[in-house]
Amino acid sequence: MSDGQFDTYITAVQKECPDTDSETIAAAFLKYQEDFKIPPQDSMRSIIRSLNSSKSVPSTRSSGSSSSKPRAAKKVERLSELKADDKEIEIEVEIISHNMREQTIRGEQKQIAFGLLEDNPWAENGDKNRWEYKDWAPSPNLAPGSIVRLEGVSVNEYQGKMSLNINQSSRVVVIREGTRAIVAPGEAQDIATLPSDGYVCVVGRVLSSREDQIHKKDGSGSIDIVRGRLADESGTIGFLSWESFEHEVGALIKIEGAQVRTFRDTPELNFGRTTKVELFHDKNFADTETLSEQTVLTISDLRDGSRDIDAVVQITEWAKRTFTRDGVEKYLWSGQIADPTGRCRMSAWEDLPIDENNLPLTVRLKGVRVRAWQGIPDITVDNAAQVEILEKSPWDEGIDFSTQTVEVALNELATGASRVGVSTEAIVVSVREDSGFIQRCTECRRVLRDGHCATHDANAGNTDVRMRLVIDDGVASMSLLINKEGSLGLLAMTEDELSTQISSNGQLDFVQTLRSKMLGRNIRASGRTIVDEQGGMMLADNAELVEEDAVMKATEIRAQWGG
Amino acid sequence: MQASPRAKRQPAWHMLASEFMDATLNEKGPGEFDPSFIITKLGAKVNRVIVAGLLERLEIRETANGSTLYQGQLRDPSGQHYFSVGDYASESMRELAMTLTERIEAGEPELVLMVAKARWYQTEEGAVYTSLRPEEACIIDGKTYANWLTRACQGTIDRMNALSASLELEPTEQAYASSDSIPANLVDGLVTSRNHYGEIDLEQYKLNVMQALDIAEGKMANATKPVPTLNLSSADEDENETEDSSDASNLEECALSIIRQLDQGDGVDFDAVLSNANARGFSRQDSEAMLDELSERGVIHEPRFGWFKIVE
Repeated sequence: MSDGQFDTYITAVQKECPDTDSETIAAAFLKYQEDFKIPPQDSMRSIIRSLNSSKSVPSTRSSGSSSSKPRAAKKVERLSELKADDKEIEIEVEIISHNMREQTIRGEQKQIAFGLLEDNPWAENGDKNRWEYKDWAPSPNLAPGSIVRLEGVSVNEYQGKMSLNINQSSRVVVIREGTRAIVAPGEAQDIATLPSDGYVCVVGRVLSSREDQIHKKDGSGSIDIVRGRLADESGTIGFLSWESFEHEVGALIKIEGAQVRTFRDTPELNFGRTTKVELFHDKNFADTETLSEQTVLTISDLRDGSRDIDAVVQITEWAKRTFTRDGVEKYLWSGQIADPTGRCRMSAWEDLPIDENNLPLTVRLKGVRVRAWQGIPDITVDNAAQVEILEKSPWDEGIDFSTQTVEVALNELATGASRVGVSTEAIVVSVREDSGFIQRCTECRRVLRDGHCATHDANAGNTDVRMRLVIDDGVASMSLLINKEGSLGLLAMTEDELSTQISSNGQLDFVQTLRSKMLGRNIRASGRTIVDEQGGMMLADNAELVEEDAVMKATEIRAQWGG
Repeated sequence: MQASPRAKRQPAWHMLASEFMDATLNEKGPGEFDPSFIITKLGAKVNRVIVAGLLERLEIRETANGSTLYQGQLRDPSGQHYFSVGDYASESMRELAMTLTERIEAGEPELVLMVAKARWYQTEEGAVYTSLRPEEACIIDGKTYANWLTRACQGTIDRMNALSASLELEPTEQAYASSDSIPANLVDGLVTSRNHYGEIDLEQYKLNVMQALDIAEGKMANATKPVPTLNLSSADEDENETEDSSDASNLEECALSIIRQLDQGDGVDFDAVLSNANARGFSRQDSEAMLDELSERGVIHEPRFGWFKIVE
């Protein structure tokens, strides 16, 4: 078999293992190359090893230990060295964030600054601690990204949480100017780039505004508020004013010191007592009509908690549901809707001029709000005036949205809203050990743990099959739960075959078999997704491994790389 | 000012061993549960990797406190990973480690793919080593290995391209983030990488990718032709560990004599060793690999990062 290609390697191996004949060595090299795609320079060590398997010198790698240095009490390097009653401290820190706030102290309006700072500012990596700070006499030297030496600051402990007070007598020495973007107070930010919380300044046009009331939960009365929506060319955002708000729709206003709060998944501007709202003049600012177009969303854009949004959707199912609340029979309409980006649900609290026997039907929705049930967005229509029936749909008539599946990149699914009717492709990076047979609660279908349901206690349970994987596209990852039908399809097995395999070889062996089959492989799955702050999850009813041709792909990569 | 979301699962990077082993920089957030990262020269901020190769060694060890630890090496065309499986690993991972140890002892070679957490440690002298803690692993066939190779190559190429693009820009997050040639997930790591590693020589990574692509394309099968194939000969050149390579032992002598001559008490800095060796006809890559090898063998050590001394 050896035609000379391994000769130099065979000589090298024979130096180590003089008793072995070259045929055996050549055969070993060939086996590695043919069966395992391992070239001789890489297989040589393994071959030498297996030939004289008794001698092997494991390499020793010792683990390092970190050293800590104690320091004098007042001048410290690390926040962790500080105690709750320390005063007159000197420390070098990096300012992470810096916000201004007005506060009434002993009847006097005062500006104070607050934010986060981080110790160990010179280390490129390693341990860093963050504390909050308050600057009682806002120093112009504090800016996000700057490294400063604080002299004469003190520790403040409140409910076990430590923070730093920068006092009137403290000194702030700038050692390195801030390199990060600094948003000066009074300088407006684009709506699209607003943070999800914090104080901001915005210039925008009022797209909608209506009076509303918030009822206190304890029944002690209600607060008058104003809700609405504001837009600039970068995007739109809802607002809630706790003070009177008399600017009309179309007015261009500048708001300073508004607070962004995130309600469900949707950021919202809050105007309070300290917020300054004034008319703004800019002839070039986009007009109301242009800005309004941005409030038209597709289903893939819908977020739990969104309000005052517009959409054009197709209603594919519509049915009346009645229920009894407080002894009174009530009803609502609900059904399925779709657009080219996906599917979701819609509910209406009033009768709409829709014939449920004459579907699908395309409608334009105006000023509706979004709730989500189990991750699926549900558009709520509060009154019939919000719905306009369109004669013609803007899409190709032939498309049946009720069964469509939209191909979406995993990264987009993981960072977007929950969606229905999507499919994606990614690498399997984990096969969870509880894949296979599970017991579900007979009441709520939740998975039983040791025969117990979290809400319905001990339970005989119903047997079900599912697979629990993690898929990953190198940027984002998501849990992938495949239902019984999809799992059995992926395994190409019947439930009985699966049951036999697991009971004869054991659960661990089954999981290891799954890993050998799937780990590191590309999988395509379709179903719906639930995304919340803990990450994303896809509930799939269909999944299959994607066959790939490495030779073709390698050639392709090389061609693209060269070009 | 972005609200910090609860730590989400970190993605897995497809990565060749050379890129991972070359990394000497780590980063961890301030919180107790913040993930830790290794930042590679190519700007990948790695918490988790997906790697594959030939299982070259796997041995069971008793540790000081009586627990068992499996330690092993996984080799791909570019180099090798060190990994360990301890009592902290899942039952299935430990069981697999046991099975694989038996196979290795019996002399049965295996190709293994693993999804692993990136670990690092620093010796008292300041040298940084990276290693892996596999979470899940499995035995794979040549076809799956070839597919993994293409993905690892694609990832390496993408990172090399982003790195090259970054050289045209100011090394700031803003500049990188607004560039179309730098993917969002590399912005952060590239800024840190460029500030830490300085100038980066891509030549070695390019060779690694070319060789890995050859293997994925099955060009080894063509090796029966009389013409020697490129991948084997090019691999020969960077094969410093080969016992019969006289160049390697010359380089070893050369590197040691440079360090001996130039050391004035603090050791000799990395660049001085490389430039001097280069003047004597050894490529910078070869010298760099030799320094790594000598460090690993304990002939030289790094009293502080980038400064080498001969162990007395």
